[in-house]
Amino acid sequence: MTLLRQTIGTGEGAIGAAILSLLILIAVFASVLCPGDPLNIAGPPLTPPFTQGSLPLGTDSLGRDLLAGVVHGTRTSLSVGLAAAAAAMAFGVCIGLAAGFSGGIVDEALMRLVDAFQIVPGFLLALAFVSVAGSSAHVIVIAIALGAWAGPARLMRAQVLSIREREYVAAARVIGAGPAEIVFKEILPNALPPVLSLSAIIVAAAILTESALSFLGLSDPNVVTWGSMMSEGRNVLRSATWLSIFPGLALLTTVIGIYLLGEGVTKAIGRGRPGS
Amino acid sequence: MRMNLLSRRRLLQSGSALLAMVAMPALPRAKEKASGGRLIVAADSEPKNLNPAIVASNGVFFIASKVIEPLAEAAFNGEGGLARRLATSWEGSEDGLSVTFKLREGVKWHDGRAFTSADVAYSAMNVWKPLQNLGRIVFANLEAVDTPDANTAVFRFSRPTPLQLIRNALPVVSSVIPKHVFDGTDIASNPANTKLIGTGPFRFAEYKPGEFYRLTRNEDYWGKGEPKLDEIIFRVLPDRAGAASALEAEEIHLAAFSAVPLSDLDRISKVPGIEVISKGYEALTYQLVVEINHRRKELADLKVRQAIAHAINKKFVIDTIFLGHATASTGPVPKSASEFYDPDVTTYPFDTAKANALLDEAGYAKGSNGVRFSLKLRPAPYFNETKQFGYYLRQALAAIGIDATLVNADAAAHQKAVYTDHDFDLAVGPPVFRGDPAISTTILVQSGIPAGVPFSNQGGYENKALDALVAKASETIDAEARTEIYRQFQKIVTADLPLINVAEWGFITVARNTVLNVADNPRWAVSNWADTALRS
Repeated sequence: MTLLRQTIGTGEGAIGAAILSLLILIAVFASVLCPGDPLNIAGPPLTPPFTQGSLPLGTDSLGRDLLAGVVHGTRTSLSVGLAAAAAAMAFGVCIGLAAGFSGGIVDEALMRLVDAFQIVPGFLLALAFVSVAGSSAHVIVIAIALGAWAGPARLMRAQVLSIREREYVAAARVIGAGPAEIVFKEILPNALPPVLSLSAIIVAAAILTESALSFLGLSDPNVVTWGSMMSEGRNVLRSATWLSIFPGLALLTTVIGIYLLGEGVTKAIGRGRPGS
Repeated sequence: MRMNLLSRRRLLQSGSALLAMVAMPALPRAKEKASGGRLIVAADSEPKNLNPAIVASNGVFFIASKVIEPLAEAAFNGEGGLARRLATSWEGSEDGLSVTFKLREGVKWHDGRAFTSADVAYSAMNVWKPLQNLGRIVFANLEAVDTPDANTAVFRFSRPTPLQLIRNALPVVSSVIPKHVFDGTDIASNPANTKLIGTGPFRFAEYKPGEFYRLTRNEDYWGKGEPKLDEIIFRVLPDRAGAASALEAEEIHLAAFSAVPLSDLDRISKVPGIEVISKGYEALTYQLVVEINHRRKELADLKVRQAIAHAINKKFVIDTIFLGHATASTGPVPKSASEFYDPDVTTYPFDTAKANALLDEAGYAKGSNGVRFSLKLRPAPYFNETKQFGYYLRQALAAIGIDATLVNADAAAHQKAVYTDHDFDLAVGPPVFRGDPAISTTILVQSGIPAGVPFSNQGGYENKALDALVAKASETIDAEARTEIYRQFQKIVTADLPLINVAEWGFITVARNTVLNVADNPRWAVSNWADTALRS
């Protein structure tokens, strides 16, 4: 809680948090803001934006409401991005914790595994995984997480390596605490904050990867995503630019918001620990 | 994201390489002639096997038809709709058991050897009949090809085979390849499948994967004063938006097969120096079809199929998805095939209320959530229009209480899912009508086709009367009687709806106005371009 307060205390954190909470509100209330299936044909095709009150952002080449697409796309992008980042963080933290705490051969083996994942570009990995496993929402989440967990794992391990030699850990050991108690009570809480500041970058990257995948036609076609909207808009880029611009702006705003929040978290952590 | 940058850089590199080639001084030989020049064309695919005798598809013909010629080509004003190429005449026997072709004299292969009837016999017996996707059907009963002399080939059939079918199929199935190159080798892996050797107006010079194909003028071509061009370059431009900008920048002269998206035509037609041409695809009609898996008990019910047909607003499909560049279908034979087309069939006007009533009658009442039942819908990924129609069909079905889940896949996965694994309820497919219903249309509704044959009836539909009709047509020699059978065929298909024909379309060519003689035959994009020229 103090971390949150400190984050909002920084300028970047405040702006980022504001943008993000607005987006989350839009995602949660998408069905209230734009009721009905956003893939429904709502008007004449290629209606320009700001010409019709009922279709403020106009329509795409099939006549689907662009505003509804952007609003419902927020839900897809945020949920896939957050879920993928959460999965990547959870897995990465566990692997890093195990590697750092066990040391020896387990550490070696796990770190070579991390190396193997880090040398493959995350996007290519996701692309290959989705092409093989099909394009449903949970497959996409796993695919994105596959390319993103190696970073937090490495950082976590470095943190654990430094913390496990600290006096308070040694003290806990002397008192007779078991390994599980040491890991979860002493090491994890102290190792986590820097890894958390990495999470903002991972969420932003996950949202971008999700958009790129759906831009290439590898998303679930039954839900709207910003990437698939841009991909369809690309065909008429010269005559109906707005089809690509609005989802593009939404994506840009989201990623900027998350980056700013991440920046705020990093600053707050730095302030909270003078001298470290 | 990074991939994108890389491919763009590569594109720029290959683009500038081509520009440098354009800027090179023209060959002195070209200056002496009135004609000549280098035509640069956009190509959107690079087929692995470029041999049209084996792979009779438009993607292959687009490039290969300039090098390897068929016995006859489709024509707007020719006798029987055909123009002579390697054959100068064809005649069927009374009993339908043989067809005699007289072959053109004085034709040479690109490697200097003479073209003879032995080449035709070899192509027919060793390639068209056993290996070719369409030849398998057309030449199923071909027993032997006799060669009484170097310029006569007599096709002998074990069962009566209609000359009408052979004639209609000639442009597509009869690409002749040289016996002396293929004989005694493994035909499927012969290097001449990619480095083509033919008799056509252009020789195959060079292929750089991902960049271009280069064809050069054949000095020894049999056509007098042809070809008119010195060189054709097929520049690989898989990005559709790229073709339009390349045309505007005068980097290419021509983009065929709707390489410029339909939605961009309106804008590009106003650019000076660029022409939008919708002619030249009359014999290459694509059909937008809803394929149905009759193994699903709901879809095995005719009332449900009728309801789906009534739920589709063809006018919306034509106006919004095809932007007017298509025609609404009435049945399995397109209007452009005037020889066979029968307008007097069962039709299904757009009527949501009637569709809902039919479904109620069939016993599939709406549930509390407004849904009667759920379906898996697989739109083919080959065209933007098939994908868009998939989106539309999902909404159209929702309006009558059928909840369709779209499943997208790449081309290979889509074909496997639909035609091998039967893992679909409805699919959107673009089959091609190739001049005669027996070539690639009856196979869409016939029963007894093994799993794995693409673009065939894999929906488990079986109709004995329809099968009998198709079998009868395949042995009816008299053209009049055979045409009548196919009129019956259209009536049965539209009444029983083994599949739903929605629309039919040809493609659009966009060319700079310096290209002459564009679209002068009904298969122009896949014909030999011997008379195509550039205005200086």
